[in-house]
Amino acid sequence: MNDFVSTYGFLFVSMILGAMLGLSLYLPLMAGQLSLASPGFYALGGYVAAILSTKVFQVKEPFPIALLLLEMLIAGIICGLLGVIVGVPALRLRGIYLAIATIAFVEILRVLALNLDVTGGAVGIFGIPQPFQSPIEYLWIVLPLLLISMAFVYRLEKIRVGRAFIAIREDELAADSMGINPTYYKALAFTLGAILAGVVGAISAHFLNTWNARQGTFDASIIYLTFVLIGGSRTFLGPVLGGMVFTALPEILRAIADTPGLPVWLAQFLRDGRLIIFGLLIVIGTRFFPQGLVTPQLLKRRSRSQANR
Amino acid sequence: MPQPQLADSISNLDRTPVLEARGLTRRFGGLIAVNNVSFSVNEGEIFGLIGPNGAGKTTLFNLVTGLIHPSNGQMLYQGDEISKLRPHQIAKKGIARTFQNIRLFADLSALENVMIAQHIHTKSGVFTGVLGLPPAPREEQKTRSRAFELLELVGLSDRADEKASNFPYGDQRRLEIARALALEPSVLLLDEPAAGMNPNEKQQLSDFIRQIRQQFNLTILLIEHHVPLVMGLCDRIAVLNFGQLIAIGNPADVKSDQAVIEAYLGTD
Repeated sequence: MNDFVSTYGFLFVSMILGAMLGLSLYLPLMAGQLSLASPGFYALGGYVAAILSTKVFQVKEPFPIALLLLEMLIAGIICGLLGVIVGVPALRLRGIYLAIATIAFVEILRVLALNLDVTGGAVGIFGIPQPFQSPIEYLWIVLPLLLISMAFVYRLEKIRVGRAFIAIREDELAADSMGINPTYYKALAFTLGAILAGVVGAISAHFLNTWNARQGTFDASIIYLTFVLIGGSRTFLGPVLGGMVFTALPEILRAIADTPGLPVWLAQFLRDGRLIIFGLLIVIGTRFFPQGLVTPQLLKRRSRSQANR
Repeated sequence: MPQPQLADSISNLDRTPVLEARGLTRRFGGLIAVNNVSFSVNEGEIFGLIGPNGAGKTTLFNLVTGLIHPSNGQMLYQGDEISKLRPHQIAKKGIARTFQNIRLFADLSALENVMIAQHIHTKSGVFTGVLGLPPAPREEQKTRSRAFELLELVGLSDRADEKASNFPYGDQRRLEIARALALEPSVLLLDEPAAGMNPNEKQQLSDFIRQIRQQFNLTILLIEHHVPLVMGLCDRIAVLNFGQLIAIGNPADVKSDQAVIEAYLGTD
């Protein structure tokens, strides 16, 4: 058991982080906005934590949990503010144009991170202090965080604000005519996603021990998109399960590639062709499962009206 | 073109206009969809808007509800200019509508459709909502029971949890009316509410429209192609042709208007 945990502890935490990143993309999607900005806010949140913990706080290891939580809070606030600043103009764009604009945003942050001194340039920031002895202990932070975010989105889908999001997703013009301000609610959904991505970034910076410009890239945008599109874009469980499964998938593929007797090219493809496989899954998945694998129908929503008669 | 407006405004002198269009014009490129249209609608009226296809009726509705903005002219609601407002701001002022090509939230249940439209009458935000703090729970309860009442009114409460897209056409139109009523409007715009209904359903709809006017103190604007329904239901009728207002007045006068007969009603 101990062996298992030490081997897979890193993977478990990564899977939970993946689930939350899926949720961060799902939030704007609730309001019908295909935003790929999450990796940008994730990277920013990570830099906030990396800079604070290596340059500002200057404490001995183990890094205090309270400071870690403070960093997550600060990262969330900064990403939330930037989310509003970026979201309000960007959300004037629709559909694929918004997606492209958010990719541009991610690229801008990446280039900035590569070239600024404070982010450590191309090398990044090393030796981010550890609050825990081993990777698996990060579960103490990330598991409650995942449960809170899941509960948050679960509740959101059932309340006034969530209904406004969903109305905009279903028909923005009709929602507008029903008194819902689309600009406000789109920006709100986008900002909630930005905050979550930023908080996840902050904890990830510690978890990965080092943070650099490879953290927020176009590749990551596509991977997070896979979480949601294949996992399911109509219920929060979709991105959560998608994020977990697809974070684990490269490991699973690697294990399959190690089975003896496989042709060399196939083993190679399974090991290194992760993005190709994700791309194929997006194409095939959206063709055959337009709402993803986990759909509300699948979950057989309980009748909502019973209680009110 | 002279605008035959005088006669009818005299008969309604005792009422105040709820809606007023002043020289309303909308161009789409070279096409003038609505051309210098002026009229006013009085409180409590059922006001019909008829005309051949492409006459600019729906464009006029879109101008009233802010989906598009006029190229020239003004739209006034209770004396305030609303031509520059966005749709949600106009909805908040008390003007609700249905759509010619039904725009329900197709994937959501009938109940959710009507709950969504109570947005402006509730206040709870992200945190009060998620944490279930006041006023969220009470609002939620109220929103839900109000939605049921409205579904009951249009006769759909037994299918409240069904997806809107599963309803037959006529029921979808009724659901759209329930959704519009959830805004608690003072003006209701119905864009071809009887389209696709059989004569029997049309008669029921006619009665229903009168009933809701009474019950909710509504002023109703109505686009409809079915002439007998319009003539029987409306207090006044405006006729549009190629974007221009060619007649306005009570049904009997409009029916015998020479220009209207030539443009729209046709000669027997």
